[in-house]
This record gives sequence, structure tokens and C-alpha cells, in this order.
Amino acid sequence: MTAVSPDAGRIWTAARGPLLIGVIILFAAIVITLLRGGGEGGSLDPRSYRPEGSHAVAALLEQNGVRVELTDDPSAVDGATLFVPRPNLIDPERLEDLSKRAAATVLLAPAPGMRQVEVDTRQPNCPLAAKAGPATLGGLVYNGEERCYDSTLVRTGTVTTIGFGAIFTNRDLDEEGNAALALTLLGQHERLVWYVPSAADRSQQKEFTDLIPDGWKFAAWQLGIAAVVIALWRARRLGRVVTERLPVVVRAAETVEGRARLYRRSHASAHAASVLRQATRDRLAPLLGLPVGEDQTAEVARRTSRSAERVRTLLYSQEPVDDRGLVALADELDAVENEVRNG
Amino acid sequence: MALTGRAGLLALIGVLVVGLLLPSWQGILLVLGVLLLCVFVDLLLAGGVRRLTFVRSGASSVRTGELCTVLLTVQNPGRRVRGVLRDAWTPSAGVVADRVLVDVPAGGSRTFSFELRPVRRGDRVSDRVTVRSVGPLGIAARQGSHVVPWTVRALPPFHSRRHLPPLLERLRELDGRRASLIRGAGTEFDSLRAYVIGDDVRSIDWRASARSSDVVVRTWRPERDRQVTIVLDTARTAAGRVFGSLGGLPRLDTSMDAALLLSALASQARDQVDFLAYSNKVRASVPRASLPVLVQAMAPLEAELVEFDARGLVAEVLRRAGRRSLVVLLTSLEPSIEHGLLPLLPALAARHRLLIASVSDPAVHAMASGRGDLESVYAAAAAERTLAERRHLTALLARHDVDVVDALPDDLPRALADRYLSLKAAGKL
Repeated sequence: MTAVSPDAGRIWTAARGPLLIGVIILFAAIVITLLRGGGEGGSLDPRSYRPEGSHAVAALLEQNGVRVELTDDPSAVDGATLFVPRPNLIDPERLEDLSKRAAATVLLAPAPGMRQVEVDTRQPNCPLAAKAGPATLGGLVYNGEERCYDSTLVRTGTVTTIGFGAIFTNRDLDEEGNAALALTLLGQHERLVWYVPSAADRSQQKEFTDLIPDGWKFAAWQLGIAAVVIALWRARRLGRVVTERLPVVVRAAETVEGRARLYRRSHASAHAASVLRQATRDRLAPLLGLPVGEDQTAEVARRTSRSAERVRTLLYSQEPVDDRGLVALADELDAVENEVRNG
Repeated sequence: MALTGRAGLLALIGVLVVGLLLPSWQGILLVLGVLLLCVFVDLLLAGGVRRLTFVRSGASSVRTGELCTVLLTVQNPGRRVRGVLRDAWTPSAGVVADRVLVDVPAGGSRTFSFELRPVRRGDRVSDRVTVRSVGPLGIAARQGSHVVPWTVRALPPFHSRRHLPPLLERLRELDGRRASLIRGAGTEFDSLRAYVIGDDVRSIDWRASARSSDVVVRTWRPERDRQVTIVLDTARTAAGRVFGSLGGLPRLDTSMDAALLLSALASQARDQVDFLAYSNKVRASVPRASLPVLVQAMAPLEAELVEFDARGLVAEVLRRAGRRSLVVLLTSLEPSIEHGLLPLLPALAARHRLLIASVSDPAVHAMASGRGDLESVYAAAAAERTLAERRHLTALLARHDVDVVDALPDDLPRALADRYLSLKAAGKL
């Protein structure tokens, strides 16, 4: 009999290649992530000290008595300035609702702009940002009531739209009039809500099914019907399953094996030894030409190189002290029998 | 009814139709409607399967493991039936291929043959005949089953028949019929014939020689017209599987093989063979058994999970066998014999001679020689204990003048036949 299901060793041998590749990929991913230093993740984050972070502007605002609240759930925006660094990730209706409630709103590069311009130092040319002077702006150009910096910063009512976020970053805050402009925009009120949308906000985007054409929706229904038809085709049997009463399979040696396990569990080494000795004596008797039951000590000692005392102990009285003694006794009985047989 | 692969294909084509041409619920309904219409038309036009009639013929018994052919004739009174037919049998009947493509014209009939190779002894029965009649479009089919009973009796394989020729040779030697100068070793006086050089001088009949002009020798032949009663034990212990060269067979099957060889030999030796299968009651009984009758009687026997009733058996044997006979009991040497059969032996031995044949297990012998680690040594002790019990039983039985043949499954039939021949040669039947 051979077991066909794999054992632990075979599973390990088969799996170690793919496992090694997986570990290498994981390790490479970790190293690359660490070396790249987080990529875009922390940009315009008021807690981030990195060049593209915004800790500097947040600190400046705090110094000027503005409370900065970083949140992903801007429910309390009333009377505060709302700053949205990534407005494209938020449902437009929700954004409109929020900006209505907020005292002032600053949106950073919402889509769609009118056109793309390059980032450069630009002059304000409008009363709104006259105090700030030239600043680093560019990116998208918008249309609005008040247009500054070549229309890359526009204001319509309370909503200010800005085409590029360089003025808020740690790297560029100290250039030109960036800091002044940032403080002007974000420090309008005592409270600033810094709204970074979480993954949950994206669920308000379109469902997958809204995006596929109608034709394929109906085709999918028809595909389901086809699947049912194919299932019916495959499921129908050609006549019933035929069963049969089979005889039990009992190996005749099972009782003997059971007895062996009982011996072992109860550590019946003395009993096992006496059975083995008896069996050896029964086999030796015809070889020695003695009737069964007769003392074989002298005859065995004569034919083997063992002392009579040793043979007597071995064949008649030795009690094995432990399990290892039993194994040794069995081997020695075999050796004696072989010597008698061959000698 | 049943659908075919074409129905699935049609539904899949419908996916393209709906997706590209009719992307609406109406489109889906239209495609579904066309599909259902096709199915309906097909079912309407397919040949009916309910009114088909079937007749079986062909083999009704076969040796286990050999090929036989069963024929199935389909009579079609209605429209043409085209499709597939399945003749279902129980798994151990070993049908080579149970499906055939059918095309029976209206009012016609066709005969299909199915090959069977039974893998297990006993009566192998057919289940149902199922016909799937496909319509003209090939999209849907009518399906129905019929019960067409047939039984193929898988006979005992009688593997040991290869031992028969040398045994018969030995029998002829005993008989003195062989073309040699060796005197027949039988014990029954046969006839007188003229002395030829080489004959044993001890067999010269001086009295007859004095009356005749030639030297005359007596010839002998073995006893004949003796009765041999073969008893097969079909109780609990017969179910145990013993692994020989033919794989794991129940003791019962090995015993059957031995019984078949013995009865074949005994009937050649002109002894009368009675067969009895016994567990706690008579399972099969064949008086004056010939080999074909015997295999038919043995085929359906299975081991039962009951205790062997030795008292009942002895009563049955004493009731049946009127004259002195050799009772061959094919059983297993278990300690239960000591309490069951042994006390009853005097009653049996008074009238008959008993020979017990038992299948010994090579696995136990292998265990007995196991050494090396603790598990093997304990297994060896357990096996030696079992073997010692068997030796003890054999000795006890010998004291009651019972012969015991205890052999490995591959050797048992030959060993039993040899023992029978030596008993015959010694005139002990």
C-alpha cells in the first residue's frame, strides 16, 4: 500500500520555490517603499515635515491664532475656513453643500480647469492678493468673479480656487510672497478645517454597473440564462446511480495487530519476552532433536559458543528490564536460533 | 426530458444577440422564447421511449475476471428513436462500456452487445436500461428507463485448476494405470496379471502362479467409491482478508478454490463428493456434486457475521453421511474451535474421518519475524502468540486423529489435494 496524499516533506519541497519568490517580492516592495519615502502620500499634509508637506504653513497659522483641524469628516464647517487639497476625490454635490456652509472655501486644483499653464512666479494684478505680492502659481487656469495671478487663483463668492498647491508646501513657503498668500487664503477665520477625504468618500462615486453599457447588462442576464441551460444539460443523468452492497473488508491480521498494540500500551515486555522465548524453543526442539518441553540448555550451549548459564537465562528466565531490553532479547534469541540452525 | 449541448450553445449565441442587437428585456424574452420553442418542437418530434420493448439474451454465468457478452434487443413500435442508450449494471459486474449510440428505425429492432468482466464473485444483476431519444433539432431529448432484469452469475475463478494435471498424474501413479512398471501403490486388490521383468517380486501371488503356467503378480488400485464430504465454513472468520499473490481475498474464496480442486480430483478418483456450506445453518448443499453444479452452488455464497455453529454442523453431517466418509472442513484455526468443535469430535470421529484445512495469514508470519524496533518486536510477540495457539490447536486435533492442513493462501489448494492423495494412498479414507 502506498499513500498518495502528500506528506509534510513533499508539500515543503513543492512549495518552497513559490514561497521564496513571494518573500523576495515582498522584501523588494518594502525596500522600494522605504527608499521612495512614501511618494505622494504625505503631500499637503499639515503634519508632514517633508518638502511637499505642509507643517510650516499650519504652524504659521497656529501662531497667528488660527485653529487648524485636520479631518476626514468635515461636518462642523460653519463659520470656518474649509481647505480641500484634493477636491476631485469628493462627490461634487457634497463639496457644494460644504462650501455653502463654510465661511470661506479654498479648493486646490479641482477638475476641470480651463487650460494648463506652467508653474512660475506670477504677479497678483488684483486687490484680493495685492498685499501678498508675487507668488509661485500655475497649473490650471479658472474662470471666476475675481481673477488673480493670470487666472490661476480665482474667487467666486466665498469660494477661492487655486490652480497649484506650491504655496502651501514646506519647500516653497518661503519663496516670494507665498507665505503671505497662504496665510491670507487660509487665515480668513479663526478656525481652519483641513479636509483630506478618506476612502469612504469615494464610495459615493458611480457604481461599476453604471459604467458598463446597457447592452452588456442585458447580455449578462442572458449569460445567466445560458449558464442555467448548460447546467440543466450537464445535470441530467442518463439513468439513476446504481448502488451495490459490498462485503466488508476486514484484514484477517487485524486482531493480531490489535493484540500487538495492547502489549505495547500496557508495556507487557515480560509477557512478550516469554512468548518469544517459547516460540524460539518450539522452533529449536526439532532442530536439536529433542521433544517439545524438554530442557534445551545443554544442547544449545554445546552447539553455540555460549555458556550454559547464559543459555538458560536467555531461553528460560531472563526478564527484560525495559523496552530496549526486549528488543535486544529478541535479537539474541534470533542469533542463537541461527547459530543452532547453521552450526 | 433532457437538454443537449446544443441547447446551451443556442443560449450562448443568444448572449451575442441580446448584447449586440437587442439590448433590452424584450430581447431576452425573445431569445428565451425561441429557445423554449425549439425545445418544445424537439420534444414533440422525438421518438417515444416509453413504448420501446427490450429483450435480453447471452451469457448468464461467467468465471470471475473473464469476459462475457450480454445482448440487448430493442424493439421500436413507434417513430424512429435516435440518441443514446445506457445499460446500467452494478459496479462489480464490470461493464466495459455501458453506453451505446442507438438509431432504431420506426417499427424496427436493433441488438446491442455489452461486455462484462465481473470483478467479484456472486450474482451480478442489471439495473435499468435508460434511453435518451434526441429530437430532429438535437436540442432536447425524451428520456426514460426500463427495468430489463438479467443476472450474470460470476463463478468462483478456480485459479488452482492449473494444479490439476500434476495431481491427476500422481493419481494415475497410485492407480498403476500409468505406463510404467511401478506397481500401483493403492491398497485395494485389483487384478492378477502376468509377471514382467522389473515387477516387484514381493507382489508375486504364489498361489495363483501355482495354478497357472506363468508367474502371476497381484495389482493394486487405490480405494474408490469412497465418500468425501466437503464442508465450507461461511461464518465470521471466513470474511477476513488474507493477502496472497492474487491480492486480498476473503478466506472464503481461498477455501472455495481449495474445495474446487479437491472435488475435481476426488471425482477423477471416482470418489463421491458431497458439498455443504455451513455457518449457523446450512447455506448450500450439493449431494453427489459435479464440478459445474458445485461452482454454481458456490457462486452466491458470502461470509456472514455470525458465529460458526459446530454442534449444528456435526449433527448435520451425522444425519447426512450414512456411510463412513472423509469430512473435509474448510475453516480457520481459531481458539474458538477448542470449545466449539473439539468436545464434539469423538461423536464425529466414531463414524467419519475429519480433515481440517485452514488458510494461514502470511501477514502474521511476516509480523512474527519482525525485529529492530519496539513496535516490531511487540508485533512479533503477538504474532508468535497467534501461531502458538494454532500449533496448540493442531496438536489437540491430532490427538483426536484429525488431520490438519494449515497453509498459506497460495499453497492451500495444492496442500489439501496432496493430503487427500496421501490419505488415499494409505487407504485411510
